[in-house]
Amino acid sequence: MDLVAINLIDGLFYGLLLFMLSAGLTLIFSMMGILNFAHASFYMLGAYFAYQISLYLGFWAGLLIAPPLVGVLGALIERYGLRRVHQFGHVPELVFTFGLAWLIEEVVKFIWGNNMMAYQEPEILKFALFHIGSNSIQAYKVFMIFTSMAIFIGLLFILTRTRIGLIIQAALSYPKTVEALGHNVPLIFMGVFGVGTALAGVAGVLAGPSLGTFPGMAVVLGSIVFVTIVIGGLGSLWGALIASLLIGWMTTAAASSSFQFATLLEFFGMTPPADLDESYLRDLWTLSLPQIGPILPYIFMILILVLRPYGLFGKRDA
Amino acid sequence: MTPALQLDGLHKRFGKTEIIRGVDLSIAAGERHAIIGPNGAGKSTLFNLITGRFPCTSGTVRLHGHDLAGKAPYQINRMGLSRSFQITNIFPRMSVFENIRCSLLWSQGYKYSFWNMVGRSPELTSKTMELLEQINLTSRAELPAGVLSYAEQRALEIGITIAGGADVIMLDEPTAGMSHSETDYIVDLIRKVTQDKTLVMVEHDMGVVFGLADRISVLVYGEIIATAPPEEVRANPKVQEAYLGAALQAEH
Amino acid sequence: MTGIPDSSSAVSPANGNALRSSLPWIVAVVVLLVLPQVFQANSAITILNQMMITIIFALSYNMLLGQGGMLSFGHAVYMGVGGFFCMHVMNLVEANELPIWLHVLPIFGGLFSLGLATIVGSFSTRKAGTVFAMISLGIGELVAACSLIIIVFFGGEEGISGDRTYFKPFFGVKFLQQNEVYYLIAFWTIVSALLMYLFSRTPVGRMANAVRDNPERAEFLGYSARWVRYFSFCGAGFFAGIAGALVAINFEILTETDLNLGKSGMILLITFLGGTGFFFGPIIGAIVFTLLQSVLSLQTELWQLYVGALFVATVMFFPGGLAGLLMMHQPAMRLGNLGLLVVPYVNTLIPAAIGALGLAGLMEMLFHVRHAAVGDIEMRLFWITFDSHTILPWVIAIATMITGFWLAYRNAPKLRE
Repeated sequence: MDLVAINLIDGLFYGLLLFMLSAGLTLIFSMMGILNFAHASFYMLGAYFAYQISLYLGFWAGLLIAPPLVGVLGALIERYGLRRVHQFGHVPELVFTFGLAWLIEEVVKFIWGNNMMAYQEPEILKFALFHIGSNSIQAYKVFMIFTSMAIFIGLLFILTRTRIGLIIQAALSYPKTVEALGHNVPLIFMGVFGVGTALAGVAGVLAGPSLGTFPGMAVVLGSIVFVTIVIGGLGSLWGALIASLLIGWMTTAAASSSFQFATLLEFFGMTPPADLDESYLRDLWTLSLPQIGPILPYIFMILILVLRPYGLFGKRDA
Repeated sequence: MTPALQLDGLHKRFGKTEIIRGVDLSIAAGERHAIIGPNGAGKSTLFNLITGRFPCTSGTVRLHGHDLAGKAPYQINRMGLSRSFQITNIFPRMSVFENIRCSLLWSQGYKYSFWNMVGRSPELTSKTMELLEQINLTSRAELPAGVLSYAEQRALEIGITIAGGADVIMLDEPTAGMSHSETDYIVDLIRKVTQDKTLVMVEHDMGVVFGLADRISVLVYGEIIATAPPEEVRANPKVQEAYLGAALQAEH
Repeated sequence: MTGIPDSSSAVSPANGNALRSSLPWIVAVVVLLVLPQVFQANSAITILNQMMITIIFALSYNMLLGQGGMLSFGHAVYMGVGGFFCMHVMNLVEANELPIWLHVLPIFGGLFSLGLATIVGSFSTRKAGTVFAMISLGIGELVAACSLIIIVFFGGEEGISGDRTYFKPFFGVKFLQQNEVYYLIAFWTIVSALLMYLFSRTPVGRMANAVRDNPERAEFLGYSARWVRYFSFCGAGFFAGIAGALVAINFEILTETDLNLGKSGMILLITFLGGTGFFFGPIIGAIVFTLLQSVLSLQTELWQLYVGALFVATVMFFPGGLAGLLMMHQPAMRLGNLGLLVVPYVNTLIPAAIGALGLAGLMEMLFHVRHAAVGDIEMRLFWITFDSHTILPWVIAIATMITGFWLAYRNAPKLRE
């Protein structure tokens, strides 16, 4: 029972982190039709910027300053890079963001080197908030969970209750009409891209201390974020939330389980071959759930794409 | 003799709106048939139903007596029906020559072969050139199709449509957005290339329609109110009402 | 219109142009035969081998991207899987002393990858665009993860290795030397490239272009867009498998890095860098990239940064890639006034190159100052040793950069004319 509770909290933590990334990504996609491969790179930049700022001004200043900084950088890249490539068509756009991801990683290595940064959570949050059985739950984790929930609610409020949100929603479906109504659609696009990347930046600032701040951190999350928004349905904020949580719980549950596939095989009446080390099926007998945990989301995504190409909550084709 | 194209009780509903409300139509082989009607009458929808782009809600479409229900566009095409599009729909990054040659491939029996070289066949090349000659684009053969002028692209589109040798040709507003001289050019072209074929066209330009068609169907709010030769349609009071909008007021 | 040949040359059947169309191939064969005589060093042969393998891989990738309009993020899977399979064949040959020539090994790799492609393609080619791209990404991650789990086939972290010298000697050649391997790879490079070129001339290859440009219209020509994509996909898988087999032969080891997302991304970059619009584009991309990789990586730790920057710049300014850039000069060449371009080119490109060198120098010094061991203040750059903590080299680098770029910027408008 304790284990289930721990898993639920860990999964929530991971899922909400994914959500902060996928929310921005799915917004950018539904608005501009761009699958931004560099999205996780902005997450990484968030962590590094915050680390650099925290060296001089402390964690809280980093949390406040780094995301807008990432957002401005994202907006500039949209204005001077993406908008230029946009005229060449869809594939060059995707390829551009792909190259950007590469470039950002190299720039990060260039500036900060290959090692993990000593980026830490603030002292005030470095204590165990409560215990479940023998496991302690860090206050920082709880803080992160609440911050990302607040962001989701804020985002939902802005999108559905404010004027700018309505304009954005209209621009999603009818960019030409909205432009004819006198709104500056390119500016809205730039803004959405900036906000989306800033959200990724927030995720980076928050995740840096607990998941590590190193040049590979973008790659670790890069493709799983795509999986999330594809499963949730491209362009759907709710879908992104549900898929994020689903993946978060799925992977943490798989990682902490001790299930061996041998059990299953024996259940079906099979016996392990005597010379296990020589058998071609030895991998099947030694397979355990934690091993395949990381690939479960990918299997899930492929199934979704084959059976229901618009995802769980999407309205249109991916 | 079975008609080239026969529609029976065709209905199409998008959500709650019924766009096509029971269309029956029979078009004989070799006939040049035009479908006219005011904006929003459902002409393009009807076109898309016949060519398998949208599924029908109910009713049947028969091509030479064969039911087309559930057939994919490429299967319908192989049965001898070819169509053009209202919005120019060519292969912009391929050369004009290549556009036509690709349209010939299936009917020339190449299918999905990956052992034949298309460049090796003199017949294919000469057939392509013949067609380019017919649509007056020989001098443009090497250009990417995307850089042609609008009228040339429309001519190419007609070329692509007839290349496969289908005997039922459907043209969706072939002269839309053209100047007078361009229209005359396209009409001549259509007349030339659809000899001995069944032609079904949707068209706004009445000059074109009355010049080309053997019979005309008038589609209003998803129903055919008249099907007759041009002179009769011109004289038909119901048609005049529909076009003048008087029918609307009379109903209320 | 200028630069357009008269229609007769456009339509003359292939046999009329037989010489003209086979000339590049003859040149390629001659070049491949002569190269090892020119570059005899083992290291040079190693680079050439790698280059040829990359050429096959990039060409096979372009069957998807350039010709079929399918953006794949997992093409390395087909190369890697073919290579792993060949490694097993190699070990079988060694264990059972089977009388097989090493030359036929690539066919095994190709067929195995073809098998995988027929399975994956059956559901991934239904749609092009994002759906295809995402499925390819998923399959890529899946296989990469599996390669660490299914140890029997992939050998886990350390991969699988073998020994190519146990094959039946081919007229006395036992493939102990890099040189001997070179000719084998060269043979397969020519064969694969030729086959891929010919594929693009077949009905399916032509229709692949049509489906790329306008899938809906293609359906109204009697072709199912899905089947056309499927054939291209399987073909691309087959040739990727051949490339994988050559990796197995050349390196005698395969690991997870040969099929992971990084490798798939790299081939996308290479193909795009070379240009997807022309058949020879990926070849240029593969050559340039391999040279950059092998030459730059010896000179600087920052080579990936430079390659990344080059790549992003290519996408932004020359979406046609290097091949597109070359072909832009074709009209000028036809008109015979290519000579007119020389002066503006020299005026712009030389200062730009100097500026780039200055910038690179600056980057190198920055990197050295930030990351070198404490107390290590000496660095070598452009064959000069100096102290990176004094002001002079910085001034020189900055000055070079600014002058170079300023001159290039000033002269650039003349180039456009």
